[in-house]
Amino acid sequence: MTRKKVKLAYITNDSARKATFKKRKKGLMKKVSELSTLCGIDACAILYSPYDSQPEVWPSPLGVQRVLAHFKKMPEMEQSKKMVNQESFLRQRIAKGNEQLKKQRKDNREKEITQVMYQSLTGKGLQNLNIVDLNDLGWMIDQNLKDIHKRIESLNKEAQSQAAAAAAAAAGQLIKTGGKVQEEKPAFDSMDAIQRQQWFVDLVNPNEQMGFAGDDMMLPFGDNNHNALWPNGFFP
Amino acid sequence: MVKKPSKGRQKIEISKIPKKNHLQVTFSKRRSGLFKKASELCTLCGANVAIIVFSPAGKVFSFGHPDVESIVDRFFTCNPMPEPNGLHLIEAHRNASVRELNLQLTQVLNQLEAEKKRGEILSQMRRAGQTQCWWEAPINELSMPELEQLKVSMEELKKVVLRQGDKLLMEAANPSPFYMINGSSAMVDPIEIERKPSEIHGNVHNFGYGQGFF
Repeated sequence: MTRKKVKLAYITNDSARKATFKKRKKGLMKKVSELSTLCGIDACAILYSPYDSQPEVWPSPLGVQRVLAHFKKMPEMEQSKKMVNQESFLRQRIAKGNEQLKKQRKDNREKEITQVMYQSLTGKGLQNLNIVDLNDLGWMIDQNLKDIHKRIESLNKEAQSQAAAAAAAAAGQLIKTGGKVQEEKPAFDSMDAIQRQQWFVDLVNPNEQMGFAGDDMMLPFGDNNHNALWPNGFFP
Repeated sequence: MVKKPSKGRQKIEISKIPKKNHLQVTFSKRRSGLFKKASELCTLCGANVAIIVFSPAGKVFSFGHPDVESIVDRFFTCNPMPEPNGLHLIEAHRNASVRELNLQLTQVLNQLEAEKKRGEILSQMRRAGQTQCWWEAPINELSMPELEQLKVSMEELKKVVLRQGDKLLMEAANPSPFYMINGSSAMVDPIEIERKPSEIHGNVHNFGYGQGFF
């Protein structure tokens, strides 16, 4: 079995063409047969070659007639709805190919811009980027900031509800363990909860100059008064 | 995200597929492949063919070259001679069209393959980056202090990007005379870059400067 890519054009060499015809005819009939068996459906093939006035058929002349009869019985519209010839079939495949190409390009662009973003986080300059790249990069940064923000919020919520639950349990304990009537301590006064909240406040404190994992990332910038609104046309 | 390996390139038993979903998918793929093979046979060897298949749902798909109807008619009339001479012009025109389409298709498929390869490389780079730098990990895997750090860095980067964007827009709007002196002002193409100052930032005050100095 050759794995050379065959050019999709009429084979001018007579013997090569005849050999190819023989092989591919056999393969085609095999494929029809497999399709019919695997999916339990009716099918037929009629093949005319320049080498024979009689057609080659699958499954058999009678079988073909049976399938054709079934075919002809269907309403005209049904018959032609999914009927293609080479031209229309090729157009279909081209359209599908273009669709897949567009999607793949879009995915690749996203991956590419992500790479650029991570590289520029570690100090690589932006001089090689044109305005379109910068726009896309800005959009990507915004998306990431959104996700980061969401994640921070959800972690905070989680911890708060955990803290509240722990505090409630602690308060519950206090009530239970006291022989005398003890004062119910509201959740805030529970030391654990307060300690927990303080930790988050410290973390979220933006005044802390946080280094960037060893790299000197913090570049001194003047203030900027931009309202960044990236046009939505990130992906053409 | 791990994809399930497909059953392609494995030997399968040729008997009716038991699972309905699997059967439907197989029909879809194999029907398409069958028509493709038929189309190739016609192009490569100048054959005429008609293939008719019924889907599991009862719909009928057919492929024919030059067209299904003429092949079916020819079969029924047991006519050894193909269509009369007059139609040869139409045939020739159709063949030229098919040749053109085949070229187009080959081109698209090549481009698609190239982009897929590129995608693979980019994915590899991302994976490599993730093992080396903690900040490249998916956001959901980062700890709170890491998230905070990353957020600050991202915000700083955003400022840099905006500044650079401003710079480029200003250069486009006000080409410096220095470029002109060199004779090669190829870098500055003010009209080409679409200016949307109000969308990118609200603080455009450079256009009053006039030519040259900024």
